[in-house]
Amino acid sequence: KFRMPTAENLVPIRLDIQFEGQRYKDAFTWNPSDPDNEVVVFAKRTVKDLKLPAAFITQIAQSIQSQLTDFRSYEGQDMYTGEKIIPIKLDLRVNHTLIKDQFLWDLNNFESDPEEFARTLCKDLGVEDPEVGPAVAFAIREQLYEIAIQSVASARESRLSKKGRRGSDHGSASKSSGLSMDLVKLFSFKSSVVRKRKDLDIYEPMVDLLTTEEVDALEAREERHAR
Amino acid sequence: MATKASDSGGSGENLPNTSSLSETTSGVTASQLTQPPSSSSEIDTIYVPSYSRWFSSTGIDECEVRSLPEFFNSRSSSKNPKFYLYLRNSIIKQYRDDHPRKISFTDVRRTLVSDVVSIRRVFDFLDSWGLINYSSSSSAKPLKWDDKEAVKSAGDAASEPPTTVKETAKRICNGCKSICSIACFVCDKRVEISEESKSKWSEKEILQLLEAVMHYGDDWKKVAPYVTGRTEKDCVSQFVKLPFGEQFVKESDSEDASEAFDQIKGSADLESGGSDKDGSSPNKRMRLTPLADASNPIMAQAAFLSALAGTKVAEAAARAAVTALSNEDYEVEINASGDPNRQEANAASGGESTRNDSERAWADAKYLIQKEEQEVEGAIKEVVEVEMKKIRDRIVHFEKLDLEMERSRKQLEEMKNLLFTDQLNIFFHTRKARKSEDRVEC
Repeated sequence: KFRMPTAENLVPIRLDIQFEGQRYKDAFTWNPSDPDNEVVVFAKRTVKDLKLPAAFITQIAQSIQSQLTDFRSYEGQDMYTGEKIIPIKLDLRVNHTLIKDQFLWDLNNFESDPEEFARTLCKDLGVEDPEVGPAVAFAIREQLYEIAIQSVASARESRLSKKGRRGSDHGSASKSSGLSMDLVKLFSFKSSVVRKRKDLDIYEPMVDLLTTEEVDALEAREERHAR
Repeated sequence: MATKASDSGGSGENLPNTSSLSETTSGVTASQLTQPPSSSSEIDTIYVPSYSRWFSSTGIDECEVRSLPEFFNSRSSSKNPKFYLYLRNSIIKQYRDDHPRKISFTDVRRTLVSDVVSIRRVFDFLDSWGLINYSSSSSAKPLKWDDKEAVKSAGDAASEPPTTVKETAKRICNGCKSICSIACFVCDKRVEISEESKSKWSEKEILQLLEAVMHYGDDWKKVAPYVTGRTEKDCVSQFVKLPFGEQFVKESDSEDASEAFDQIKGSADLESGGSDKDGSSPNKRMRLTPLADASNPIMAQAAFLSALAGTKVAEAAARAAVTALSNEDYEVEINASGDPNRQEANAASGGESTRNDSERAWADAKYLIQKEEQEVEGAIKEVVEVEMKKIRDRIVHFEKLDLEMERSRKQLEEMKNLLFTDQLNIFFHTRKARKSEDRVEC
């Protein structure tokens, strides 16, 4: 059944609201089993704390609510569960910290905890900015969410195709959902568990502290991209 | 949800007993770096209100378990006490790092790895207990505590009815009694404020209230419109203040009750006239309602409060309230209400000079039992009478039948006799006829 493949069934919520020349961008995790009035409470609180105009309250609440509804619409549908070890990539900039990383994540482990991973990562890498942790957890969750949605779609496809023709199509469905098959091949008894040298750089976390000018330059580039 | 922003609307309270913790206490940090001593050239003292004395950075207190059960009920593996400690200590550390500046929820949730609603709950909890954003001139605490309770009890954060503000006033007295051992100079002021803001209840309104309660019982939504011009909350609080009403609200403020008595004495005469009957039925109905009944809002609040404050504390508060109540002049109030039933009850209790609350209650209970017995006897009598009547009717019926039988038997006898005489006649006739035949032949 559909759920986030983590210990806590939390939804990643992204907000990007523009209004009267002010732009509010945010990203955080939400627990979908919280009562819906919490959305409004949160919106009011945020607007008050950030001193945004009151019109943002409804916009924020609506955005959160619609993302929650999307998430809930997937609930109850079947997820394709198979051998699923996927690489998760991190490439984010939070204030002055730049993080690039890649690691393998087991989708079948429903006890996995992106939050704990993020906390440990920041602690181990000596990241001083406390805002990095939540961003990392959010990025992981977002990717997991994407993949979970894909697996629902592929489960539906495979069901449909099974109705038509039998057998071999099942293999193609799973192959289409990513690199998992390759990795399983990797772990066959022929090759060793130790990673190949050429992959070492990719799979190592990289933390960069940027100066203010570099931050400004990057931000300007991002804005241009967005437009 | 109102946070720290200018909530000094209530009486500018000065909690006299505040304990101060110097910033360099070692316990402040959890997993983060300790504050390097060079950064604080003057030692900032951080004030923590005395009712939050229980706080320790390495331990979890009972009231935290009670207020934030989600972390302690082991329903989810990641929401465990350790996680709660992480959240709580991070928030507190963040606040203390930037001390005089008040920390906002958004600041905190941006830096903590968790889902935002859990963060908000811990944040609100700490805020309401004065462990963050606390400055002795603000009176944010009581309002927040009440909001938190409303959230917990109703499970509905957005709907804080504006009337809770007034409820706050009353309940904080209770809260002060149980939580801080401060002499409630502050409380008195609060109570008076809330009292003055309500207008005095006229006798007519009280009558209406009692009638409405008799009709609708605990349905305050219906009672309120019946009593013209009073809100639900006013009705409830007034009803509670009425002499028989306050009996079962054990934890109500003693100061409140004394003022209520003064009020009631004035309106007593009319009450004695018109509301005797009205008084007794809600009286009885409310007595029979168990304390934990959720339909009675006051009792639910009181029950919730006592659960929140812990058993020992609630016990102490209840005892204090009871002794204070029993010290009031009860005789005057009893006579004034003029309710014959209650007088009987009190008479039955022997007109005790000891105004022991529990003995009175016991006497009332005894009286009730007697009443019930009488009713049962009456019912049995009726049943027996009905049965007797049935039997009597049947006897009458049978007698009639007997009479019918007799009549028909007599008729039968007569017919038999007639038949006999007819037979005789025929016999004589035939004999005569034969004799005459014989004479003719000779």
